[in-house]
Amino acid sequence: MTVLEVKNICKSFGRNHVLRGIDFTLEKGEVLSIIGSSGSGKTTLLRCLNSLEFADEGQIIVNGETIFDASVNKHPSEAELRQKRLHFGLVFQNFNLFPQYSVLDNVTLAPRLLKKGTREDIEKYARGLIGSVGLQDKINSYPCELSGGQQQRVAIARALAMKPNILCFDEPTSALDPELTGEVLKVIRSLADKKMTMIIVTHEMTFAHDVSDKIIFMDGGVIAEHGTPEILEHPKSERLQAFLTSF
Amino acid sequence: MDSFFEQFPIVFKALNLGFLQTLKLFGVTLLGALPLGLIISFGSMSKFKPLSAVVKFLVWIIRGTPLMLQLLIIFYFPGLVFGQQLWGGGESGRFIASSIAFIINYACYFSEIYRGGIQGVPHGQQEAGMVLGLSKSQIFFKITLLQMIKRIVPPMSNEIITLVKDTSLARIIALQEIIWAGQAFMKGSEGISGAIWPLFFTGVYYLAFSGILTLLFGWVEKKLSYFKA
Repeated sequence: MTVLEVKNICKSFGRNHVLRGIDFTLEKGEVLSIIGSSGSGKTTLLRCLNSLEFADEGQIIVNGETIFDASVNKHPSEAELRQKRLHFGLVFQNFNLFPQYSVLDNVTLAPRLLKKGTREDIEKYARGLIGSVGLQDKINSYPCELSGGQQQRVAIARALAMKPNILCFDEPTSALDPELTGEVLKVIRSLADKKMTMIIVTHEMTFAHDVSDKIIFMDGGVIAEHGTPEILEHPKSERLQAFLTSF
Repeated sequence: MDSFFEQFPIVFKALNLGFLQTLKLFGVTLLGALPLGLIISFGSMSKFKPLSAVVKFLVWIIRGTPLMLQLLIIFYFPGLVFGQQLWGGGESGRFIASSIAFIINYACYFSEIYRGGIQGVPHGQQEAGMVLGLSKSQIFFKITLLQMIKRIVPPMSNEIITLVKDTSLARIIALQEIIWAGQAFMKGSEGISGAIWPLFFTGVYYLAFSGILTLLFGWVEKKLSYFKA
């Protein structure tokens, strides 16, 4: 079942054409990794999917419903936007946890404010999520008391608490010390095992190879090569070959 | 009345009255300037360029000229130019004029502190709220506000302690605040003249009051120290 269809997404910032026609589809339970050098448009693509930016052209279709169509409505109302955003979860490079709230409150804040159930149900579900990222003993800690890897795991639990159809990761390990990336990747891997539909922007090639069903290599705002993780072993295009040798 | 012990009860009573006026001016200024400052800060951050330019210009005028000059202009200008005593005579007129000058002046300083606090909260905090589907007001009240308050407490406490002492500037338009009350015993008042000690003694009031405020703000800062922002 196709969860996501992205059609001809184009986005410019002034005269800088960041995305020049991106097309891809994602099936339910699939993991897609997007790789490419900095400035290739990976993050902008994720931000368009999460309605943090609005594409100049193109369509985004989730579960058969067109949630964005640049030719119809480039600037939807706040209420519409909030509905659309809930299809996607986003885990940021810099975690962006809410510093004044405990781990539990970070995870429960949005479901409570959006009345996604009774307080007990929301908390029970949140405790389960926090346990599944291995932080049950930190449930009452504040973000400043956690390591980067722990903060990123809380951020994953926080995104999952809203039960998104598709969970996006924007370079989830790039702000971490090398010894802390493993614990975060392990959590993402376990989500893949549970058939969570995910889009991961990453520079971790080995991880992308192991965890993904599909790989997209972006270069200069277009998809320069795509396919199964196989393409990382046998890249066809020269650009991907050049990119991979830089690792 | 030459002995200190004879003078003390009379001076103490007069200084208390003066300090009451000081406190009144301090309280009214805060009451007016804290919300007005927030409005001015929104104006200076407005995306509508003409508005933010006008607001920034006014803030420049107010912050760039002495408060004493502003007091004099606000108090005397209507009377001298229009021949109209806008504030009314007497102590209450002087109090109204002082309050207006202080509120405008302090609102401009506060507005810059607010601006720093609002812009200091990383944009990622808002985005994190947005991708979780929260509304703009939920993001402001539940996510941004407390982080902003934490950031502005130290500069605010500085500014508010300065305000305690700045109230004495209202002496220039003869508002009967505590310095005025102390000075009266130098010139001669209630049978006491040539006494310098009441003026020194006014310092004790300022010290005590700013001490209390320092403790209060220290307590607030400590209350908010459980998180880093």
